[in-house]
Amino acid sequence: MSKKLLELKNVTITFGGVTALNAVDFHVNEGEICALIGPNGAGKTTVFNVVTGVYPVTSGDIIFQGTNLKGLKRHQVTKSGLARTFQNVRLFGDMTALENVLTATDVHKKTGLVRALFGTPLNRREERESKARAHELLEFMGIDHRADQMAKNLPYGDQRRLEIARALGTEPKLVLLDEPAAGFNPAEKVALAETIKKIRDRGYTVLLIEHDMSLIMGISDRVAVLDFGQKIADDLPSVVQNDPRVIEAYLGVPADAS
Amino acid sequence: MSKLSNFNLRDTGAAIWAGWSRPVRTVFVIAVVVIIGLVPFAPKWGPTSFLNTPITSFENVLVYPVGMFVLMALGLNIVVGKSGLLDLGYIAFFAIGAYTQAIMSTLHGWNTWEILPFGIMFAMLSGVLLGLPALRLRGDYLAIITLGFGEIVRIVALNLSVTGGPNGIAGIPNPPTIFGFEFNLLFPEHFFWLVLSMILLVIWMIRRFTVRRPGRAWEAIRQDEDVAALMGVNTLIYKLWSFVIGAAVAGAAGVIYASKVMVISPDMFKFDVSILILACVVFGGIGNIWGVVLGASILAYLPERIRFISDARQVIFGLVLIIMMNLRPDGLLPRKKREKIQEKRTM
Ligand SMILES: Nc1ncnc2c1ncn2[C@@H]1O[C@H](COP(=O)(O)OP(=O)(O)OP(=O)(O)O)[C@@H](O)[C@H]1O
Ligand SMILES: [Mg+2]
Repeated sequence: MSKKLLELKNVTITFGGVTALNAVDFHVNEGEICALIGPNGAGKTTVFNVVTGVYPVTSGDIIFQGTNLKGLKRHQVTKSGLARTFQNVRLFGDMTALENVLTATDVHKKTGLVRALFGTPLNRREERESKARAHELLEFMGIDHRADQMAKNLPYGDQRRLEIARALGTEPKLVLLDEPAAGFNPAEKVALAETIKKIRDRGYTVLLIEHDMSLIMGISDRVAVLDFGQKIADDLPSVVQNDPRVIEAYLGVPADAS
Repeated sequence: MSKLSNFNLRDTGAAIWAGWSRPVRTVFVIAVVVIIGLVPFAPKWGPTSFLNTPITSFENVLVYPVGMFVLMALGLNIVVGKSGLLDLGYIAFFAIGAYTQAIMSTLHGWNTWEILPFGIMFAMLSGVLLGLPALRLRGDYLAIITLGFGEIVRIVALNLSVTGGPNGIAGIPNPPTIFGFEFNLLFPEHFFWLVLSMILLVIWMIRRFTVRRPGRAWEAIRQDEDVAALMGVNTLIYKLWSFVIGAAVAGAAGVIYASKVMVISPDMFKFDVSILILACVVFGGIGNIWGVVLGASILAYLPERIRFISDARQVIFGLVLIIMMNLRPDGLLPRKKREKIQEKRTM
């Protein structure tokens, strides 16, 4: 039995009249690639938003590495080891690719403003190390040649890759990827799947939102399915694939009626 | 026209700078500083005598408004340009510095150099007190709160007896001699050199911040505060820092200003000065120190130069602003647009 890294306990969140998540129990095990799927508007992105502290939950608890995230500020959540990408790319457009990643690596730095001003040895070393680390992550995502380009000028695919590099820059335990393959062609999707596996092999745990079934089925250890804010399945990919409720949710009709 | 608005002198300049070796850069910087240091003598030299100002003496114009505006515009640029917070009451911190100097020198007999750290400290402290609640709010609210704060400081000064009410405080002593430089009416250029040193110090500080963690945090906050927080930036703390550092610069400027003019009163710290300094930042190129320096120099100097046409000068001033902002909406020298960053210097 593997260890639970992240656990949502009975999480409910409502926006006005809309119940985006309804009593969701869900967890991610350490070291796995877990996929979160479901039709449009099912509440997948909302899971990311409540986990990273963008919205407070209406009720329920979110436990990460044994501690409750309730009441933590967003930057504290990130510092505790959670990082994410965004469904609609949200880079710092007027910064270079390198600076985007550097901003993320700053989260674990010991030196802040005062020591930056005086350029203390520790500050210089930290700056140097994070620069090396940022280049390494860009290299890992295959975009180090873009390091000095403004993020907003990067091709779309590289922007998505940069988002992943930036998320990894915070040295997370768990990376949340929100539709990282959106807009990719089949060859790019295959490459991305390999990258995600490599990310896992480097010791990160991955929670992945994705619509592309073949990508999901190829790399996930486990798949959870949301529909109208409720979890309707959570199992091995092969099992989920044949679950009548899942097929119904996706096709919009009962599986046996067709 | 489109060519004029696209041409980016800042990037061109940065590219040339990047091509230079360290000694060349050092020589260049020293040469520029020396030339600027000689500017007070410009009216005495034929080719530059046209620079002379008709009413107020040129050296004094260089200290106030020019030098002080440059200093304050640089400080305000940390707040508005770097971290994207709209502060409409910036003059309040200048006033706090000025009154600190006025009160502590006339009542307690301290000298300017002793008071300077206190002026900075009080300005920073008020920055924290204002910033902690105000910076939790967004854009428009912050603008209104800072605007209110600026007026409150002035009105308090207008009504307290310790600040001398509407008459203000007179008899503020000049700074005592330091490093052989006397500070009095006979040597206005010494004040200019003092302000110039402060400007250089602030530029050095901003450049340090910009290439390191604080600059990145501010830039991230300015571009997308929510994402910045999600990438681990403690947004409140960094916003507060930019606010407080901006306040410190204005506070220091205020101390020196008071000990230069020797008389201060509340009407020197009106709302329109805050706006004028903001105009300097926007006019020069929000977010870029060289643009801000240039913008503030021009906007502070121009009205003094054309003072002889008295009332019409405000109209001309306004026209210049309107025309410029149409031609170059991002300011004279806009913030960094270039792709390539030369890194060898930044670490
Ligand atoms: N901030 C918000 N305010 C109001 N409603 C919201 C908000 N965020 C999400 N919702 C609603 O919650 C539901 C779930 O949205 P969510 O973005 O989580 O869906 P999703 O599963 O990520 O869908 P997609 O596949 O389209 O990205 C939707 O009905 C959406 O309209
Ligand atoms: Mg979504």
